[in-house]
Amino acid sequence: MKAAFTMWKNTRMIILVAVCAAIYAAALIAFKTAIPLIPGITEVRVANIFPMVFSLLFGPAAAWGSAIGNLIGDIFGGTLGLGSIFGFVGNFLLGYLPYAMWTTLKPIADGERELALGNWRAWVLYILLALISSAACGVVIAMWLEVLGLVPYPVLVTIITVNDTFGSLIGGLLLLAVYGVVRRQLRLVWWDVMEPEDIGKPAAGVLGAWLVVIGALAGWILGAYILSGQALIVGVITTVLILLGAVLM
Amino acid sequence: MNIFLYLDEDTWFHRLDPRTKIIGVVLLFGVALVFNHPLYMAGIALGLVLLAAAAKALPNFWRMRYILILLVVFSTVLWPFFAEGPTVLWSWGPLEVSRESLMYAIAMGLRLASFVAAGLIFLSTTTNEEFTHGLIRLKLPYPVAFAFSTALRLVPTFAGAGATIVQAQISRGLDVESGNIFQRAGKFIPLAVPLFIYAVRHTNMLAMALESKGFNPGAKRTWYLNPQMRRADYLVLALLTALFLGALFLRLRGYGAVLPRL
Repeated sequence: MKAAFTMWKNTRMIILVAVCAAIYAAALIAFKTAIPLIPGITEVRVANIFPMVFSLLFGPAAAWGSAIGNLIGDIFGGTLGLGSIFGFVGNFLLGYLPYAMWTTLKPIADGERELALGNWRAWVLYILLALISSAACGVVIAMWLEVLGLVPYPVLVTIITVNDTFGSLIGGLLLLAVYGVVRRQLRLVWWDVMEPEDIGKPAAGVLGAWLVVIGALAGWILGAYILSGQALIVGVITTVLILLGAVLM
Repeated sequence: MNIFLYLDEDTWFHRLDPRTKIIGVVLLFGVALVFNHPLYMAGIALGLVLLAAAAKALPNFWRMRYILILLVVFSTVLWPFFAEGPTVLWSWGPLEVSRESLMYAIAMGLRLASFVAAGLIFLSTTTNEEFTHGLIRLKLPYPVAFAFSTALRLVPTFAGAGATIVQAQISRGLDVESGNIFQRAGKFIPLAVPLFIYAVRHTNMLAMALESKGFNPGAKRTWYLNPQMRRADYLVLALLTALFLGALFLRLRGYGAVLPRL
């Protein structure tokens, strides 16, 4: 997680945060009232094609950009509230987990940051990370809104997970289209922009990645379908697992 | 289309220090969080409408009327099936609706609407610059605040670019209106690629422009905009704190709750 904090020393990364946030927010606002799923809480989020693509290209800038972009979406959409706090955290994870787990989710990941988009293994990992990061985002936000008594956990966790996974999967097409330009022409992929000593190495990356996998899937499936009567307890425990895993990566 | 919610009026609320407004809106969120009885929540919601009238923010309430109404309706329909109460009114298999869960549901709808209403009052009376400056004065690290304010400024630019791209693609025959939700989401890709490239190309130019002016994320700064906390700010903060503590006291004494949960 070191890079998520050291990136604030780097001017290009700061600009990338702003650019990611602005694109995500602009798309969120454009579709905010198009198809509401839970009015004032969530809608069909076409904008969700962006966070995973941002994450794999811009790394930690995408994590902060997605979080700030979602907050700006709430501000301009008129839905700023206490729920926006964990909307920030959940969307941070949506932008943080894909790049952090791309190298640490072994043995599925091969440990390389370079996106080998011609390789089927990379796409298996992409699909898996789309689901895991979306479920993690859903668990964290749904837990908080259940605590606040705003929306029942079992309803919201499934909506967010399915909604975000769908967006991230379509985002794969965007990634295919823009990767070459960003990598070779603009040279703006995060491991080119940041200094190696600022990126660092995760303390227990593989353990962290698997904690996130367990937390996200258990939080979604147990909380929504198997133990929905104890949804809040499931939500709290799995949120702790997800956040602990995220810190370890 | 104007996507900003700020309304340029001269009210006492507009003149408050941005820090007062940020802390004040958090305290209002706290007050709305304390009770789960519909009568108490209705009182809070009414208070917020009066506050909005004083802050001349009602035009934004009208603009958001559908969201506010839908919040209450949706919550009232959804919550009775998830909150349990002793006085059962209706049951069918595992589904059960009680008098308490119904009242709780109405209260939650009003709570959600109150959150949105408090946020709307804040956004109607605070410019983006004041908001960012308030966050910095509340010790948000400068690089984060800078990214936030830059993003706020870029949103209308990218939204405008997005609209131009949509028109250009429609003129080339892209049909964005037809198809189901999956097909329509797929059609977003031909729009997203040029928007993405347009935006990312900005990054290098913006970074060079900043660095050429000696931008240093960690440097110490002075400010042109320098709002000060006045007597009215302290008075508002004291009143809102008293309101929050009073509400908390009432709840701890057993008032304002239909169910023993938040």
